[in-house]
Amino acid sequence: MTATGGEDRAIRRAVRRRSRLPTILGVAGLVIVGALVVTAVFAPWLAPYDPTERIARPFLFPSAEHPLGTNDVGHDLLSEIIFGSRVSLMVGLVAATVALLIGTTVGVIAGYYPKRLGSTLMRGVDVILILPFLPLLIVLAAYLGRSLLNTILVIGFLIWAEPARIIRSQVLSLRSREYVLAARSMGAPDRWTIIRHIVPRTALLATGSFVRAVSGAILLEAALSFLGLGDPIQKSWGSTLYWAQTRGAFLTPAWKWWVLPPGILIMLASLGFALIAFSLEERINPRL
Amino acid sequence: MTRRIDLRRVAQYGVVVVVAVTLNFLLPRLMPGNPLALIAGVDVGMLAPEQRAEIVARVGLDAPMWVQYLRYWGDIFTGDFGFSFRSSRPIVDMILERLPWTLLITGLSLVVSAVVGVLLGALSAWRRGTKGDLSMLSGMISIESLPSFWLGMVLVSLFAVQWGLLPSFGAVTPASDLEGWAHVWDIISHAILPVTALSIVGTPGVYMTMRYSMLETLGEDYIRTARAKGAGERRVLFGHVARNTIAPVITVLAIRLGFAFGGTVIIETVFSYPGLGRLVFEAVAGRDYPVMQAAFLVFTAAILVANLAADLLYPLIDPRSRTS
Repeated sequence: MTATGGEDRAIRRAVRRRSRLPTILGVAGLVIVGALVVTAVFAPWLAPYDPTERIARPFLFPSAEHPLGTNDVGHDLLSEIIFGSRVSLMVGLVAATVALLIGTTVGVIAGYYPKRLGSTLMRGVDVILILPFLPLLIVLAAYLGRSLLNTILVIGFLIWAEPARIIRSQVLSLRSREYVLAARSMGAPDRWTIIRHIVPRTALLATGSFVRAVSGAILLEAALSFLGLGDPIQKSWGSTLYWAQTRGAFLTPAWKWWVLPPGILIMLASLGFALIAFSLEERINPRL
Repeated sequence: MTRRIDLRRVAQYGVVVVVAVTLNFLLPRLMPGNPLALIAGVDVGMLAPEQRAEIVARVGLDAPMWVQYLRYWGDIFTGDFGFSFRSSRPIVDMILERLPWTLLITGLSLVVSAVVGVLLGALSAWRRGTKGDLSMLSGMISIESLPSFWLGMVLVSLFAVQWGLLPSFGAVTPASDLEGWAHVWDIISHAILPVTALSIVGTPGVYMTMRYSMLETLGEDYIRTARAKGAGERRVLFGHVARNTIAPVITVLAIRLGFAFGGTVIIETVFSYPGLGRLVFEAVAGRDYPVMQAAFLVFTAAILVANLAADLLYPLIDPRSRTS
């Protein structure tokens, strides 16, 4: 008896812990993202120097005036990294918005008209998902040229396929719900049914895929900038690492203040959104 | 046993090839500015009109668009990717000499992340909801957010520079004529860091697939039946759960192999590893468009081969799919 009682309690404890984890991770994600947003918004006040001005000798070690030293042209690295949060967040958010707009449109249409139109659209989505993602991203970015807008567009146009798939499967099931059938049988036009009954109910799922897309887009922006394909005027964490690589900073003691901080921030930014996405997804479809 | 190849899949792969080739054909021709610079690699402004006309005729830009398009297909089928702008060498040669290095590090890292990911994923699912499972899951979510190039840089800083244990760049020690085992060790020691970086970033995907796929299997009726008839934990795990979980995971692995290939662009750049990925980076940095394009086609082909292998493997692993 006592044995089963103990087991019961253990299971109950496990279940409780399981259901608490998404909340804990979600809150952690919100805190990280909140801190980054504050940094990005107040960057001009937080940064001790203008990150585009040569304020000291290049390759300085950390000191009281320059907590993270200076880079190869004498810019203050701390200021550069504080301003970098702006590019990272902006590319992440705008590219994910582009992806969500395309993804929702394709997903809703493909789900609402599942026969000819829908299956053709999804074939297209499958083709996009098979193409070698990173090389395609790089080739497109190289042809289009280096600007913030191009970075955003290239990323946004390549990551919408996954959201489209998720939203389509939701719409497919919504389509045969009673209230949708009722609206249709009373002669509601398709457009009205879609906007009034379908789209609002994909909102939660769409939010989940949006946040996940932000997380992915932040990593992609960093990778593009690291390969020297980012906007040459904007200072981003990826471009800071590009210069650290080009100037061989990671082969010197400078890696501790030049290489570590931007990488940790890229990871935190992407992780913050990933945690929120995980917590949302668990709420919609518990898989823990 | 005889399974007809799914024609829809074959058609889909065909479409992928057409899309990739057409994209390659159109990109340099649709970009603003003169396509001559992108296709022939010459500075258009510097040429006299007759020189320009001569080059236009040589690369075939004077033909109608559809003729150019058909010629482009012809070139690809005969394995003619043209010449590099920078080195003026045939691109096919450049790709063939880089390919083995990329195959080496992607192959090794895929084995590592497959073994680690499958084992940890199975363990995690088996101990679902425990502290171990949840911390492993949180850890994997964090690794998914690691920028791979940064991980590579940190590995170099620590293992190559700080501790001097391993070489920091390249695939072999330059200008050394090592032989026999010394040569083999030289290659291994150069591959350790890139393989480690690729394995670390590759593991969470395998882990997640394994964990979710196994959780699904654990909820099946036949598992409850097996338990109910008194099968031991070990027998349930290896005889019933593992056997039914492994098939979808192997498919995912095969598909990942194709994508892992593309991921080497970043890792090989960090380690200056002379593979296909590094070739793409060099081409991007030097605006060597034909090399970039050819590499893109090779990456596409790799993914298709991996997918095809998964399609063919699946019925061998999972007999249930043969009947359907």
